[in-house]
Amino acid sequence: MDDAAALQSIQATTRYTSEEMRAWVARRRWALAGIIYTIMIAAAIVFVGPLLFSALSSLKTNPLEYPPGLNIPQLYPSNWIAAARLGRLGGGNPLLGGFKPGARIPFRITYFVPEDVSAELPEVIVPRRRPGAGLGAVMKIDYAADYAHVSPVMEAERAPSAISIDGERVRGEYITYSFTVSYPGEGPPIDRVPVDITSSPGVIYVSSTLTASRIERLGRVASYDNLAPGFFGYVFRNYVRVFKEARSVSTGKSLFFSWTLNSGLYAIARIITNLLFATMAGYALARFNFRGKTFIFMLVLFSQMVPGQVTFISNYLVIRDGIFGLTRLFGVRSLLNSLWGVIIGGAGSSAMIEASKVFIMKQFFESIPREVEEAAMIDGTTQLQRYWRVVFPMARPALGAVTILTFQGAWNDFFWPLVVLTSPEDIKTLPIGLLSFRQTYGAAGDWGLILSGAILSAIPVIIIFFVFQKYFLEGVSFGGSKK
Amino acid sequence: MKVKSRETIAALMFLAPFLIILGIFFVYACVRAVIFSFTDYNLFNTPRWVGLANYTALFREANFLRALRNSILYSIIVTTIQTIGALIIASILNAKLKGLNLFRSAYYMPSIASSVVITLIFLWMYQRRGLFNYLATQLLRYAPIILIFLGFTLVIQTVLVLYERLRGFPAKWFDPALLVTSILLSAAGTFVVSILGLVSLREVPPVDFIWLQTKQQIPSRPEFLAMPIPLIAIMIQNIFTTIPTFMLIFLAALKDVPISYYEAASLDGATAIQKFFHITVPAVQPVLFLVVALGMIGTLQMFDQVAIFGNAVPLESVITLAYFVYNRMFPGAQLPEVGLASAAAIFLALFTLTLVVLQRTIIKSEVK
Repeated sequence: MDDAAALQSIQATTRYTSEEMRAWVARRRWALAGIIYTIMIAAAIVFVGPLLFSALSSLKTNPLEYPPGLNIPQLYPSNWIAAARLGRLGGGNPLLGGFKPGARIPFRITYFVPEDVSAELPEVIVPRRRPGAGLGAVMKIDYAADYAHVSPVMEAERAPSAISIDGERVRGEYITYSFTVSYPGEGPPIDRVPVDITSSPGVIYVSSTLTASRIERLGRVASYDNLAPGFFGYVFRNYVRVFKEARSVSTGKSLFFSWTLNSGLYAIARIITNLLFATMAGYALARFNFRGKTFIFMLVLFSQMVPGQVTFISNYLVIRDGIFGLTRLFGVRSLLNSLWGVIIGGAGSSAMIEASKVFIMKQFFESIPREVEEAAMIDGTTQLQRYWRVVFPMARPALGAVTILTFQGAWNDFFWPLVVLTSPEDIKTLPIGLLSFRQTYGAAGDWGLILSGAILSAIPVIIIFFVFQKYFLEGVSFGGSKK
Repeated sequence: MKVKSRETIAALMFLAPFLIILGIFFVYACVRAVIFSFTDYNLFNTPRWVGLANYTALFREANFLRALRNSILYSIIVTTIQTIGALIIASILNAKLKGLNLFRSAYYMPSIASSVVITLIFLWMYQRRGLFNYLATQLLRYAPIILIFLGFTLVIQTVLVLYERLRGFPAKWFDPALLVTSILLSAAGTFVVSILGLVSLREVPPVDFIWLQTKQQIPSRPEFLAMPIPLIAIMIQNIFTTIPTFMLIFLAALKDVPISYYEAASLDGATAIQKFFHITVPAVQPVLFLVVALGMIGTLQMFDQVAIFGNAVPLESVITLAYFVYNRMFPGAQLPEVGLASAAAIFLALFTLTLVVLQRTIIKSEVK
C-alpha cells in the first residue's frame, strides 16, 4: 500500500532510525485497516439495519409505537415462560394457547399506589373485541366474552416502598391483586381471551403475570390481547395473526398460506421450464452454425431491454382469450386469474423461458472447450439424446446459477402477476398478496400484520441466498465480467 | 451443404420452445403494441385507425407530462447517485483485508428481498411517527454534542499533524493513525464536557416531516427541477436497494486490476483520490456502460414502488411512465384506453433505447 512510498520519503528527510520509521509506518497501516473496518460496519448497519429493525419491530404489538425502541416485551424470557404457562392453563396448548371449557387462568397485576391516592380494587372485564380489521373481520367467530367468567378481584400482597417520578421521590406502596378467568360449563374452543384491567386514577401500573399488550387511557387501563396466548401466540403474535386472521371469504382457507403455495408453484414451474428449454436454446446459440443465428441472438439481447409495459397489453389479451383459444381443448376459456396464465404468458424477466437465462447458458457453453463434449459423445444417438446424456450434466455450475436466479425472479415477480391475478384473493402470489395486505391493513395503521407478512415472505429467498451465495454473487457479476 | 442444413434443423429443434414463447409473447406482443398505438382500441370496440392521434394526445395529458418529468428526474438522480455510491463502496471493499467477503454478503441483503418487501418496510419507516423522523429528531437533539465532537476532532487532528511534521514525519492531513487518536481523544473530551454540563441535549419537538401524504416539492422552484417529496422517498429507497448489485459488478471488474498498479502509484506519491480517479475509474470503465445502462433501464421503468405506495401518496407526485401505461390499461371504473396506453409504452421503450445508446457514445468519448 502506501508503505514503500512513506518509507522512502521519510528516509530522505528524517533523523530517525529505520526501526522507528518502520514502526511509524506500521501504525498507519493498522489505523487504516481499523478505519476501513469501521466504515464497513457502519455501511453494514445501513444496509442490513432496516431489515433487522423491521424484523424485530414486527414482534411488537404496535410496530408504530413512538419512540421506536428496541425494549420489546416479546423478547423477555420471563414473558416467554408466562405466555407458555398461561397458554397451557387456558387451552392446554403451551405453544399456541387458546381458551377451552374447563380452563382456569390465574392472573396477578401489581400497581404502585402513591401515599395520597386511595386505591380501589381494579375492574376486570373480558371485552367483545374483534381481532383486527380487514379480511378477517367478516369471519364469524366466537367471543370469549360470551363464555368467560371472571372471579372477584382480591388483594394478594401489599408492600410499602418508594419510587422516583420525574426525579422526585414519591412514597407509597406496591399492591398486588389477583383474579382468575375461567371457562365454566360447555362451549366451543376459542382462540383468544382479551382482557382489560381498569385501575383507579393515580395508581401506576408496574407489572403483571404477562406484560400488558398496551397501556391505555393515561395509564389507567392495562389491556391484553390474549390472556392465554401460548409461546408463539405471544412472541410471534403478528405472525400467528398473518395466518389466522387473513382468510378467504369464500373458502375460509388461510390466504397467506395459499399465496405462499402459489408463489412456490410459480417459482418451481419457471425453474423447470428455464432449466429445460433455456439451456437448450443457449446450447444451440453457442454450438451450432446456422442462418439467422445472429438475428436470434440480437433478439435475445433486445428482448431484455424492452419494458414489460410494451408487451403486457397484448399478452394480457392472449391470456384472456386462452392463447388463441387453444386452452379450449382442455375445457378452459380464459387463463386470467389462473397460475397457468402467469406461468405461460409473461415476457422479459417474467417469461416462461427467459432470454437472460438463454444468454447465461450460451456464455457458459462457449466457455467449455468443444473437445470435452466431443470426446464424451456416444455414437449412434441423436443430437438431442447426446445433449441430454452428455452436455446437460456437464453444465451443472451454470444450471445452479440459473435455478437460483430464476427462483429469486419468480418469487419476487410483481408486475406480470399483478396484471393476471386480480380476484379472488386466494389465487394471488405472495408479492401481490402483500400489496392487498397493505391496502387492507395499512389504512388502519395495523403495521404488525404487514411487516410480519413481508418478513415471512422474504425468509425463503434469504435462506436460499445464504446457502447458495456463490451462485447469486457469480450470477450478478457474470454479465459484468464477461462483457 | 447437407451438413449445414442438418445443423440448421438441429439448431431449430433446440431453439423451438424458446422461439415459440419469444415469438408469441415478445415479437407478436411488440408488433401488436405498435399497431394498437395507432388505433382507438378500448377492449370493447372494433379498433379504428387514428394515425398519430394517440401520440399527440399524450403530450396534451397533464398526467403524462408529469409522469415524464418524474421519470426523467428519478432516472438521472438515482442512476448518478447509485453508480457513484456503488463504485466508492466497491473500491473500499477491494482493499486486501480479511473478512471483507462477509460484508459483501451483508451488503447484498437488500437486493435479494422483493421490491414489495423493501417498499413495505420503507413505507413503515416513512410514517409520520416512523424511524426516519425519529432519527431526524435524535440528530437534532444531539446536534450540539455532535458539533462539539467534530470541532474537537478537527482541532486535535490539526495540532497532531503539525506536531508530527515538526518532528520530521511526512504526516498527511488525514493521517489514519493520528485520525484514530484524534477521534478517541475528542470522544473523551466531549464526554467530559457533557458530564460537566457545559453542553446538553437540545429540547426539540419530534420531527414531523411528511414523507407521503403531501404535494410539496423540493426544491419548490424552478419547476423542472422540483421533486415531489414522495418521489424523493422512493429515490432514497431505490438507491439503497440497487447499490449492492452494482457494487458486485464493479467489484468483479476491480478484481482484475493488478495490485502493483496501486503500489506503483503510491511510490510516485499519488494520493488516494488520485489513485481512485486514475486507476479505479479507468479499470471499471468497460462495465461502467453496463451499470449505467442497467441503472437507466431500471429507473425509467420503475413501477412496483408506485403501485405499492398506492393511495398512501398522491398519485400525481409519484406517477411514472410505466405506471401511466398500467393506469390507462386498467383504469378501474372507466374504459381502458388501450391505444393511448400502447402509445405511452412505445414512447417509453424508444426513450429508454435512445438514452441507453446516447450514454454509450458519451461514456466512450469521455474516456478516449
